[in-house]
Order: sequence, then structure tokens, then C-alpha cells
Amino acid sequence: MSAGKQLNVQVQGKGARNVNLSIRKIVMSGILGAVSILLGVTGLGFIPVPTPAGHATIMHVPAILGGVLEGPIVGMLSGAIFGIFSFLRATSPMFTDPLIAIFPRLFIGVTAYYAYVATKRINPILAYVLAGAVGTATNTILVLGMASIRGFFPASVALSIGVLHGVPEVIVAAILVVVLGKGLERVRGAQGDVIETDDDL
Amino acid sequence: MELTKDITLGVYIPRKTTVHQADPRSKILLTILLITLLFFIKTYTAYGVYALFALFLVWISQIPLGYAVKGLKPMIPVLIIMWIFQLFLQKPDHAQVIFSLGFLEATDVGLRMGTLMSIRVLLLFLITTILTMATSMVELTDGIEALLKLFRKIGVPSHELAMTMVIALRFVPTLAEEMEKIVKAQMARGVDFDRGNFIQKTAKVFPIFLPLFLNAFKRAEDLIIAMEARNYTGGGGRTKMRQLRMGPADTKAFAAVLLFTLILVAVIRLFPPPIQI
Repeated sequence: MSAGKQLNVQVQGKGARNVNLSIRKIVMSGILGAVSILLGVTGLGFIPVPTPAGHATIMHVPAILGGVLEGPIVGMLSGAIFGIFSFLRATSPMFTDPLIAIFPRLFIGVTAYYAYVATKRINPILAYVLAGAVGTATNTILVLGMASIRGFFPASVALSIGVLHGVPEVIVAAILVVVLGKGLERVRGAQGDVIETDDDL
Repeated sequence: MELTKDITLGVYIPRKTTVHQADPRSKILLTILLITLLFFIKTYTAYGVYALFALFLVWISQIPLGYAVKGLKPMIPVLIIMWIFQLFLQKPDHAQVIFSLGFLEATDVGLRMGTLMSIRVLLLFLITTILTMATSMVELTDGIEALLKLFRKIGVPSHELAMTMVIALRFVPTLAEEMEKIVKAQMARGVDFDRGNFIQKTAKVFPIFLPLFLNAFKRAEDLIIAMEARNYTGGGGRTKMRQLRMGPADTKAFAAVLLFTLILVAVIRLFPPPIQI
């Protein structure tokens, strides 16, 4: 059990309900959000792939890791930071629309978390692979789905972009999440499994 | 490979204009309103009116238009591809073919949807750019926190969410510095980041990512301990050094946007779209 778990911050404003967001969740989401932003501004978050748009993104990987290692709330918050940033510094026409840039990103870490928890008992490596794949698929499907609803592409085009872009992104993210998850697990081993003690969601 | 040099997070341009002096809360609210308005526009006339207002905002906020448009450059090729997709692939039953290239048929509906979509993207970009160029990141975060506070009663942890954003912004330069060290260390070991095909290039990402994430998590653990040691207890009872106050600039801003909204609604009503899309 980590130190952050023992000291949950209880916030009590005037007449406000208790709002529970531990220091651990605030800090982890913030730093993972920072990694996302960093990958965006340095261009390291884009992997050149021979497709029309030119690159596959891995900027959403911190949100997946946040979900897998720290639970769905951290996954959602780090995804939100990634979304807000991609809206404020849009590099693709789609992301000038906040409904496409921010909204889908909230769910990356959440679905990754549930994919991980559901399969962890069967095989931990497989669980990481699935979390990476599911989180990435959430990003791709929701972004392109929203883009076609908002009239950026016809649905048929969105589908083919999804396959063309989604497949390399899913593969890269799945491998990255396994490698990073396993590596981080070893370092964080002494702290125990954070997810199992995560009892407030 | 100098990574830290290229990092500009905010694109804030300090000036003393009404737009700059307005409270970040009103700026965020009005930006949301302006973006929402864009979604209801379906005619060129209404877009024209909107563009005039956007240019008026650029003018009074003294933002160099050339600088604002520079951010648009990487979007243009993708935007053109998207326009071509719309032109040839929008085929509802009532659409009429304008011309055909082999098996591809361009329709009037496609042309209209593609063009309207492109104008919408340009205007969305312009509105967001005005917000980020006339508001510093600190003000933006303060504004978001203050606006979220309205939802505190239903359980939204406004201060904590703002703190998360502040931490993210604060750690980008720190992590960038670390990443630069990692990249240089790997280059010293002979990794050539520019060469190789897609798979080889992807494989080279791993020796950067693993140390980067390890460092990030280590920093996070340190910060957690530091914050706990200082007894950080969130937003309850906290006071702020910079107080947000509404002033005459906000009255002007609200009045201008309200007037514009009324004009826009009138234009949308008076000039309905000629073809159904």
C-alpha cells in the first residue's frame, strides 16, 4: 500500500458534498498528462506510418498506463489533459472541434482499466496487451465516430481511415503498454498492486 | 537534437486590449458560446457574418493575423484531402452530379458540405487561437477552476482538477529536459533516430519511453510525498493570491457577443440554406 492511499484528501467547502480525489490521483494524472503534452510538442508521440495522414499517434499511451496502473479516475483525468491540449493546439482540422478533441479522450483510460482488470486473472501479459489495444481502439473509434457525426468525413471514409490508422496504432500501443507496464511494475513492485486497493470507485 | 528549445506551451501575446483585460471566466464562457453558435450555421451568408466578427476580434485584440494563421499550415493538406472526400463521397439520393472523373462523381451536396466544413474548421481555429493568444495559461487554468466551482455542489472537485492541470503544465519542461538527456544518452550509444523504415523507427522509441516513464513515475512519487509532508488538503478554505474580478472589459465583451448572437440568429432565419444537406 502506498503512502498516498492512507491520506485521502477530504475536501469540504461550504455546503459542498465531500469530494474525494487523493493527492496520489491528482499528481499521477498531472504527470501523465505532462508526458502526453511532451510527446505532442516534441513530435515523439507521432510514429511515421505510410498512410495518408502520415503518422500514427502514441500520445494516448500515458492515459492507458494511467488507467491500468492507477485506476479509471487517473486514466480519465490524464486523458482529459491530453484532450484539452490537443484542442488548444490542434494540428489536424478535426481537433479544432472540442467534441472530437476532448470528449472521446476521457474514455481511453477507463476502457483500458476495465479491459486490464477483466483479464488480469487469466494472464497478466495478455491483460496489458488487451488494455493497450482496447484503450487505443476507444480513442480511434470514438474520435472517428464523432468526426463523422460532426460531418468531417462520410462514414465510409471514417471506417477506412479507422482500419488503416487504427491497426498500426493498436499494435504499437499494445507492445508499448506491455513493455512499459511490465517495466514500471518491477520498479513499483515494493508498493504492491495499486489497483486492488483502489476501493473508492 | 535540442528538444527543450522548441517547447512553447502557451502562445500568449501580452497586450493591453479589452480582450486581454477581460476576465478569463468571461472569455472561456464566451468562447464556448461562439463555438456552439458555429455548429448551427449552415449557410455561406451566416459564415460571412461570423468571419467578420472573428476578424473584428482579431483586430481589437491586436493579434498579428499572420502569426495566428501560421498554426494553420500543418492542417491545410489534411483539410484539402477531407474536402475532396466530401466532394466525391457525399451521395444522398437528392444530390445532383456536377462533374465526374472516371468512376468518381462530384455532387453539389458534397461540394457544399466540404466547403462549409472547411470554413467551419478555419473559424473554429481562429476563435480558439484568439482565446489562447489573449489569455495566459495561468489565467486559463484560474478561469477553468472558477467556472468548475459552480459544479462543486454536485461533487465536481474543481480545485483538484485545476491542480492536476497546473502540475501537468509545470512538469512539461522538467520532463522535456529529462527526455533530452535520455535521447542524447541513447545517441551516444549509437542509436540513429532518423534512419530505418517504419518498424525500425518504432523500435527505437522504446529505449526512450521506458526511462522517460520510469522517471515520470519516480517524480510523481516524490511529489506525492512532498505534498503530503506539507499537508496539502485540497481546495477547501484556500485563498488565492490573484483574485478574479469582472470589470468594464467584461461588460463590453458580453454586450458585443450578445449583439453579434442576435445579428447571427437573424441572418440564419432570413437566409435559409438553398439545398438540403
